[in-house]
Amino acid sequence: MPSTPQGVPAGTRRSPGHRPRTRRLRAASVVLAMACAPAALAGCSLGSSDQHSILHRHSLVIGVKGDQPGLGLLVNGHYQGFDVDVATYVATRLGVPASRITFRTTPSSVREKAIEDGTVDMVVATYSITPARKTQVTFAGPYYVAHQDTLVRTSDRSITSVHDLARKKICAVKGSNSWRRITDERSIPAVPVDVATYSDCMPLLMNGRIDAFSTDDLILAGFAAGHPDVHLIGAPFTDEKYGIGMRKGDLAGCEAVNRILTGMYQDGSAGRFLDHWFADTGAKLTTSVPQFEGCS
Amino acid sequence: MTTPTRQPDVPAEQPAATPGTPPAKSAGRPLERQRGRLATLVRGRWLKTVPGRIRGWTALAVVTVAALALALMLGLQNARQGVQTIGHDAGPQVVATGNLYFALSDMDAQVADILLIGRDQTLGIGRTESLRRYDQARSDASRAAIQAAQLAGKDTDRQRTVQEVIDGLGEYQRLVGQALVLNDQSAHPAGEVPGPVVGTYRQASDLMKLELLPKAYNLTLDSGATVRQSYQEKRTSVLAARYWVLAAGGGALLVLVFGQLAITREFRRLLNPGLVLATVGTILLVAVGVGVLNAQAGHLLRAKRDGFDSVLTMSRARAISHSAFADESRFLLDPGRADTYEQNYLDKASAILYVEPPKDKPANLATYYALAVKAATTYRPDDRSAFLGLLGDEARQVREGKESDALASVLRAYATVLSNDQRMRALVASGDRRGAIDFRMGRGSSAIRDFDAYDAALRSLAATHSAAFDRAIHQADGGLSGWKVVPPVAAVVIAALVLVGVRPRLAEFGRI
Repeated sequence: MPSTPQGVPAGTRRSPGHRPRTRRLRAASVVLAMACAPAALAGCSLGSSDQHSILHRHSLVIGVKGDQPGLGLLVNGHYQGFDVDVATYVATRLGVPASRITFRTTPSSVREKAIEDGTVDMVVATYSITPARKTQVTFAGPYYVAHQDTLVRTSDRSITSVHDLARKKICAVKGSNSWRRITDERSIPAVPVDVATYSDCMPLLMNGRIDAFSTDDLILAGFAAGHPDVHLIGAPFTDEKYGIGMRKGDLAGCEAVNRILTGMYQDGSAGRFLDHWFADTGAKLTTSVPQFEGCS
Repeated sequence: MTTPTRQPDVPAEQPAATPGTPPAKSAGRPLERQRGRLATLVRGRWLKTVPGRIRGWTALAVVTVAALALALMLGLQNARQGVQTIGHDAGPQVVATGNLYFALSDMDAQVADILLIGRDQTLGIGRTESLRRYDQARSDASRAAIQAAQLAGKDTDRQRTVQEVIDGLGEYQRLVGQALVLNDQSAHPAGEVPGPVVGTYRQASDLMKLELLPKAYNLTLDSGATVRQSYQEKRTSVLAARYWVLAAGGGALLVLVFGQLAITREFRRLLNPGLVLATVGTILLVAVGVGVLNAQAGHLLRAKRDGFDSVLTMSRARAISHSAFADESRFLLDPGRADTYEQNYLDKASAILYVEPPKDKPANLATYYALAVKAATTYRPDDRSAFLGLLGDEARQVREGKESDALASVLRAYATVLSNDQRMRALVASGDRRGAIDFRMGRGSSAIRDFDAYDAALRSLAATHSAAFDRAIHQADGGLSGWKVVPPVAAVVIAALVLVGVRPRLAEFGRI
């Protein structure tokens, strides 16, 4: 804004007879400058409305699982798995190279809180999109739609569908909803055997103390990788939409991530990640971009 | 304009007070003369003369008026771009890709019905009608895909997605052709679909569900994202432009008023008609300019909030509803995957309308029917948080009156659709598959009519919003027409009035 008619008052310095006008003109310049200041401020503050967005960041803190083989597993101080690969791909496309990403173990129970209080910028941790969670978190994706399937001993031919789980012993992980989908939602009289974590199920299944382990196929595939004596029955019956959680309201960030995920499938990266972690596990892998949920 | 009636009261100041100024005559060659002039300008002593001050002031006035015009033009430019994107580019893209999703989804639904009824060719809407609808949907899908490709413009990612849909559609039709041939060969009774038919249909349906539909849906969402970004950016700019116009206009007015006061003192003249007209013109330009920008921001807001958002929500709700309705046919057609299709139905129904089940209730269809039907039939416009899902989003958006009434009839119709679904599944659970198929296909039931009524209610709700959208865009277009030329022309006129106003005063000094 051209605001100061500077030369005008200066010129009268040597002619005292014109002092009143000088003052007036000087006052004019001050008023002008003041009038423009708010506009300038308004102009400056426009760009900073997306303070909490995952866009335009120098570094990112990403919440992942630390105990899920194939998805997010902490090995010798490094996280690895499909979720970690997806998170790294997305962050890189957002302009944050791998060296400036901090991964942090984010257990299921604290995911919403960690996003809300800014402990993590986004969560990529087998985080299912549900209507209730959508009220607290903005979800990009899903980057993958997993399905609940069942892992059994390869020698066990008696279980080929979820209905065959009647009177069979199944793994009931504390805090997990998967076994309830069988016993409560489908009223199949399977026998739940309580355990603390997912990883406790594998030894029980192998030594025959349980008959089946039923949860998301990607999680099962991660456990099954490298164990030829167990296999997935390939009878999926739910859709678990794994989304990328970010702070509620970061629509610009969410939309950008959705475009990146489309690219991740188009350029074949998603297929490579899936193959790398889950090939030969019996899981039916989908290598086409999932139907997005929409940013809200 | 007036002629000089007196000599300036400080004529001596003009040349005498500037002894150090190199006179023009000392400049020998053009380059030196130029450099001499520049030095004179920079030294600023010309300002110590009355004509110098008037010239300086005139230049300042012209510059501030030009700044005013520029601020206004930039604001209007942003408004124009916003209206273009929302009303004429991405908005229509949302409609085109929404149509694509619909047509694709309808193709698969018709195929499922044909295979389900088998040789009982008059069940439901009948085989002939289903085939006709399939062909219609196929042709709609091709047309919508071409339109989506055109509207994708230079966006290569989007073009590629459209291309993938077109390629996949060819493969889908090949598989459907095979399934129909196998189906005709088997001539099976309704609901007893042979394995090879089901197997081929599974391949086709998986292709549709896992590849074609998601891509079409994502195209719609992506166009919606473009609209949202453009809206936010452009509306913020238009609103900010009001302050810039006010600031520039205020600056121009201050310069004009103070200049006029100074001239009044200097020349003892009360009013300078040219400057007065310039001042009035500036006030008018600022007032009208701010008004137009305000109105444009309002049009963008209404187009987005009252129109576009709900149109997009309704488009998604219709797409998901149709897909869920077709899942009922697939549930009956393919008992091997009945669990999956039932779960799909629950997921899709939850996306449309969702009520969180209490902790002690299993999250299955039985719980959902009870909670959703209750929420849908007891809807009150003032309770905006009774349920979630797309209809929940809509409930938080609608205004009371025509819109909330339309939503209420959608909800009532949806409750009926849910009750029909419950009845159909109860028949299957009791072992009466044939009864369930008859019920679903509308023999002795109103299941198809009820779904059509629900769809019609959704469409009529969408129509109230698309009317609001069209109205806002139309008003925005109308409000912008002619505003390309107004700011520069007004600025030139005001500047001319300023020059006309000061010219006689400069003439008093004998040089202009």
